[in-house]
Amino acid sequence: MDELQASLLERIQQHDQVALAEVYDRYFDQIYRYVYYRLNNEPDVAADIACEVFLALVSSLKNGKPPRTSLTGWLYTVARNLAADHIKKKGKTVPLLDELVSDDPPLSEQAHWVQLLPSLKVALRHLTDEQQHVIALRFGEGMSLAETATLMDKTVGAVKALQHRALASLARLMPTEGEHD
Amino acid sequence: MIDPYELILDECISALQAGVPLEEILAEVPEFAHELRPMLYAATVLSNPNPVLLPTAQKTALRNKYMQQVAILPPLPMPTWSDKLHAAYHIMRRRLTRQAIFSDLATISMTAILTLLMSLAMLNYAANGALPGDLLYNFKRVSEQIQLSLTLTESQAVALQTQFNVRRLAELEQLIQLNRLAVVEFTGVLESQVDNVWIVEGYTLILPADIHIEGQPQEGSRIHVVAFLRVNKTLVADMIQVVQ
Repeated sequence: MDELQASLLERIQQHDQVALAEVYDRYFDQIYRYVYYRLNNEPDVAADIACEVFLALVSSLKNGKPPRTSLTGWLYTVARNLAADHIKKKGKTVPLLDELVSDDPPLSEQAHWVQLLPSLKVALRHLTDEQQHVIALRFGEGMSLAETATLMDKTVGAVKALQHRALASLARLMPTEGEHD
Repeated sequence: MIDPYELILDECISALQAGVPLEEILAEVPEFAHELRPMLYAATVLSNPNPVLLPTAQKTALRNKYMQQVAILPPLPMPTWSDKLHAAYHIMRRRLTRQAIFSDLATISMTAILTLLMSLAMLNYAANGALPGDLLYNFKRVSEQIQLSLTLTESQAVALQTQFNVRRLAELEQLIQLNRLAVVEFTGVLESQVDNVWIVEGYTLILPADIHIEGQPQEGSRIHVVAFLRVNKTLVADMIQVVQ
């Protein structure tokens, strides 16, 4: 945890309103991007959930149970849980992969994958919550392996393994060109 | 065990994020290209080069909602004595487990033993050069007695006693050189006996009238002497004992 984050954490534990405003201004966009990525194209819901993360921070202070060790770790964990709850509620409406596969003629491999982006994002929801979290942090937030490992309180090796399993599952879940020719 | 794919995959993702074209990356690892290709395509497509930002108006509205909650956040109450005692009680209660107590006792005991041993070693070193009448001289003698009590055989004890007696004579010599008064103790051969003046191990020993003598010392006997060293380099005997 960097010095600035440690100082913010200490100040918000003292209910410092300026620090709480600074936390919002500094981390809102990051949390919003993360939730947006996890929810896949639901900007309004993502914005509400991101705001809920920060309201949860205020509630935690009211209840005397504020984050103690890592501020960003706490924010991402709450965002992850809220996003997962939302996805769970919407579970029945998640389209099947086959429904998203286009019947257009085959394209080049790369164009084919780009065309499959919507179904790729749906395929993401077939991964475990932890795998989705790694993918969102690594590719959505552009975090390094070390940053992801710190946030998830895991080793770099464990994050590498999760990332590998997630991408391998995605590659398996995605329909190949031949399937929709 | 580390999966080789995990290492290669991560290197390929790093290269992708650095902007290296996918085909160029795959050409570097042709033996894994078939397996890596779909995963790297997925990674490329999933990467978010232009993150979506929330419209400013919506962001401001949400911020206002948050700040309203922040504004009604009650100030943190100052802890009372009761709170502090309660917190201290909880900390103590958490610490006072059997395991924690044993661990603390073990740490304290080890620290005390190590400190004691270190202190004794340092004191022993410092007392090595002490002469009779010095502050540390008694410690030096006690340390010698401990060494003697730790010997396992008679011959070891005799050898050690001889060594200590050599020390006593060297101390006597040093005291004479320094012209110091002191009570000394040594064992030596009685070389001559003329009335109340004896020569023991080359040193003149004057026997006062009330001297306490154990045994029947004769010329050639080994005797143990406790005497007072005077400034004129003579020794006034206090106790004489024949050594068997």
